Amino acid sequence: MDASVILFYVISVLLVLSSLMVVFLRNVVHCALALVVALFLIAILFVMLHAPMVGVLQVLVYAGAIMVLFLFVIMFLNPTASEPRRKLWWGFGSAAALLLAASLAALLSNGEAPADPVTATETFGSPETLAKSLFTDFVLPFEITSVLLLVAIIGAVVLAKREP
Amino acid sequence: MDHPYFPLLILFTLAGAVVLGLLFVAQKVGPKSPNPVKAEPFESGNPPRGDARIRFSVRFYLVAMLFLIFDLEVVFLYPWAILFRQLGLFGLIEMGIFLGILLIGFVYVWKKGALEWD
Amino acid sequence: MVPLDYYLILSAVIFAIGVIGVLVRRNLIVVLMSIELMLNAVNLTFIAFSRYLASMQGQVVVIFVMAVAAAEAVIGLAIVISVFRHRRTLDPQEMQLLKW
Repeated sequence: MDASVILFYVISVLLVLSSLMVVFLRNVVHCALALVVALFLIAILFVMLHAPMVGVLQVLVYAGAIMVLFLFVIMFLNPTASEPRRKLWWGFGSAAALLLAASLAALLSNGEAPADPVTATETFGSPETLAKSLFTDFVLPFEITSVLLLVAIIGAVVLAKREP
Repeated sequence: MDHPYFPLLILFTLAGAVVLGLLFVAQKVGPKSPNPVKAEPFESGNPPRGDARIRFSVRFYLVAMLFLIFDLEVVFLYPWAILFRQLGLFGLIEMGIFLGILLIGFVYVWKKGALEWD
Repeated sequence: MVPLDYYLILSAVIFAIGVIGVLVRRNLIVVLMSIELMLNAVNLTFIAFSRYLASMQGQVVVIFVMAVAAAEAVIGLAIVISVFRHRRTLDPQEMQLLKW
């Protein structure tokens, strides 16, 4: 077996385990730390798929900034009341999700996807090619992103700032 | 194996293994003599008072939130800076509009006093 | 070389785990974290297709998804904070004022 396939198996087992920990652990802080591990593993997969720039941004933005924000909110709210557990809900939710996973996997793996990847050029996935695509093909989405961020800034200040 | 970033993975794996290994060795080999005074949180020699788990102020949260938004702005600035010479004037105008719209948000935050600490 | 299907199936499994979290957990913060997990599963699909079709567009879309995810996290957590101030709870079942 190829070394990259073995690496893929190791990472995917760890990734599924850490995702399950995000959903099933009782302590919210532990959930957040498991999510950091999951996001880091996904970043490794990105780098394996010749997307090093996106992988680095994944670590910087997701595992860095977004998770710090989540931990801040957990510390801020400091929820002490434990969450009630309902057996019926867990069964129902897990059954629905299993069904979804089965159908998604069947659907996704059924396509006409090429078994052999197109040979990537030397520069594929480098920051230059990414930037070229981002700033020439995606000009309008890029500008609209700034409006999205503006809305996020204003919404956050309006919602979270305590009036004096 | 022939992936250009493969050495990085080895570095991360080794770093993690060394940290976990040292923690394990310290846990197993190190002598332990626990006593209640050692387990107390250190408050400059005074007896500790109150709970360690106090609630953080919402101001920390606001700062973290604004940091996240402006962090994303930098995420877009970095690839732009790489390609700046090739994009030329078009790129400058493009990024000017982007930053101009975000500047409105910055001015709003400033005027609203969300950056004040008191 | 890892076949494309492997990545797609892994991403479907991660997405489904995120769905379990959204459906079952009764803590708003964990629900938001599960949504982040689902977004990341979709990102993985985008990157895998981008590699196997040798097109950069998938990677650019992932950067936009990251921007949307960050905005969603900021606004979602701000809503969680203001709900917690009024209702003193994080249980989405308790927030039924608009329920018919």
